[in-house]
Amino acid sequence: MKPIIQLEHVNKTYGSGETAVHALADVNLTIEVGEYCAIMGPSGSGKSTAMNVIGCLDRPTSGRYFLDEVDVANLSDVELAHIRNRKLGFVFQQFHLLPQLSALENVMLPMVYGGVPNKERRERAAEALTRVGLSNRLNNKPTQLSGGQQQRVAIARAIVNRPVVLLADEPTGALDSHTTQEVLAIFGELNASGITVIMVTHESEVARKTNRIVWFRDGQVLHDRLMPEDLAQAVTT
Amino acid sequence: MDIFESVNMAVKTLTANKLRSTLTMLGIIIGNASVIAMVGIGQGAQRYAAEQFESLGPNVLFVIPGSDEARQRTFEVERALTLEDAEAIASQVPSVDAVAPQLQSQQPVTAGNRRISTLILGTTPDFTIVRDFDMEQGRFFSETDLQRNTRVVALGSDVARRLFSNTNPIGQQIRIRNLSFEVIGVMESKGAFLGNNQDDAVYIPITTMSSRITGNTSPYGTEVTFISVTARDENSINAAQFQMANLLRLRHRVVNEDTFTIRTQKDALEIVGNVTGALTLMLAAIAGISLFVGGIGIMNIMLVSVRERTQEIGLRKAIGASQSDILLQFMIEAVILSAIGGLIGTGIGVAGVSLVAVTTPLQAGVSAAAVIVAVSVSGGIGLFFGVFPARQAARLDPIVALRSA
Ligand SMILES: Nc1ncnc2c1ncn2[C@@H]1O[C@H](COP(=O)(O)OP(=O)(O)OP(=O)(O)O)[C@@H](O)[C@H]1O
Ligand SMILES: [Mg+2]
Repeated sequence: MKPIIQLEHVNKTYGSGETAVHALADVNLTIEVGEYCAIMGPSGSGKSTAMNVIGCLDRPTSGRYFLDEVDVANLSDVELAHIRNRKLGFVFQQFHLLPQLSALENVMLPMVYGGVPNKERRERAAEALTRVGLSNRLNNKPTQLSGGQQQRVAIARAIVNRPVVLLADEPTGALDSHTTQEVLAIFGELNASGITVIMVTHESEVARKTNRIVWFRDGQVLHDRLMPEDLAQAVTT
Repeated sequence: MDIFESVNMAVKTLTANKLRSTLTMLGIIIGNASVIAMVGIGQGAQRYAAEQFESLGPNVLFVIPGSDEARQRTFEVERALTLEDAEAIASQVPSVDAVAPQLQSQQPVTAGNRRISTLILGTTPDFTIVRDFDMEQGRFFSETDLQRNTRVVALGSDVARRLFSNTNPIGQQIRIRNLSFEVIGVMESKGAFLGNNQDDAVYIPITTMSSRITGNTSPYGTEVTFISVTARDENSINAAQFQMANLLRLRHRVVNEDTFTIRTQKDALEIVGNVTGALTLMLAAIAGISLFVGGIGIMNIMLVSVRERTQEIGLRKAIGASQSDILLQFMIEAVILSAIGGLIGTGIGVAGVSLVAVTTPLQAGVSAAAVIVAVSVSGGIGLFFGVFPARQAARLDPIVALRSA
């Protein structure tokens, strides 16, 4: 398979001298197209930092990062914005929907920045919302939706530009177990349709749904392709 | 992302928070309204003053005591103009048509049991020619009255009304300084000239005035405040000025510095233009400051807005907004706020100016150019004061922005 994400000796250091924090310390990680991958690890182990680097929201202090075989270190702000818009989709724990916009308008937003014509935008946004089971909530404002529904709108927004990689940092962190299952079902379908899904989670049951578990500790990949049956032991060490 | 989308987005954001948008615009509204009103009223005042001089006709000249240089040095005038100077001008300067010296003093005037204080204005019969002043009733005093120091007066229309109400004043007596004078005429209603209400005055032969009322004689003769003169026609204005200057220099035995100044209507208009122009400029500058303050208000609110919307900015960046997209979005918000504020302010300013034009003699008006300048300046202010907050927004680190919960 073709690698989509390649981290080579990636370091991310915050601050300098004695107070320096090595959020990522020599991380090597390759993820291939179509993988469904969970990133786990204790709090402060560098999971979110890794996701931000992968999502081109942050640049590594040193090391190289290839996204779809392109070294993103050389790209300008506009080029990175374009990559985030076209190749990546983000889902956050706190949904981050714009409160003044309806569900449909929120989902249309990435296409506004992508230069998609207005008519096509509406059609595709409605399509994406239908795909996450919200075809009857197009004109609701975020405050008129439940947490699970809001997260589904956010997922629709993440996939509406047909990304190659879906990045989700604790997407079920704010949801109850029932809605967690709904969201995971959607992720499963998206992955089945060919989208690479990378998800940070603290919950073993969530991680079990994926095909690959990467375990972080102290800014390093401690275990890769961790077997679900070894999860309990990893958590305690 | 195209500009239409950005505008659309900005409008959505601004209408989502109407109260704040309105309050933010308020500074610009007030600033712009005051700029328009001040300039409009200032120009109205200028036009009004200019028209007063123009109403005298282009042939009018004023002879005033003291040289320009002397006026800058001291408030004191060394050599007074006299009635005799005026008579000399009338008899010896051929290019002059009418000469009206003026001597004035505020005095109590009584008629029967009514007592008012008004301006007593001593002059010559030519005054009616120079000022283009007609009678409502009766006659103005004549050369004969002048020569004989007759105790006759013509009343301004307001004075006539205040002293005699509905009774006919002609032939009645009024008292000034315990002397009685016969009313021989009532002037037409004329309104104010340069701030002096010409209807609130009593007109009296200047000879009578100096001998009976003011006693105001300088060592050189009967002192007058100034002399108004009309030249024979427009072509003789320069000649009149030249001849009067020569005559007065001779009479006053001027060695080097003139003891008087002669101003043509053109000079007077120029002075009025300068004075009111400076006034207008000052008013506009004060109003401009409030516009500036309005701009700072916009910047302030935009900065608050950037801080409040950090998560939104982070999210927009995550889904594909570049720095310039964010910059543009906030700039457009600032410009829309200030441009709309500017339009509303201009509307209020124009309304205010129109109100002034209707309720006062000032012909205040707003030119299209002033409106265009005001609206584009306020738009520019939005641009200027929007840059800083918008750059702050554009430079936000998306990770920090998204994390700030
Ligand atoms: N902007 C920053 N400045 C300084 N230190 C930072 C910054 N961002 C992250 N860190 C540090 O880097 C380390 C890794 O942080 P990161 O957010 O990646 O952890 P995480 O694995 O996502 O934790 P959690 O499970 O709690 O979300 C932490 O020690 C954190 O304090
Ligand atoms: Mg995290």
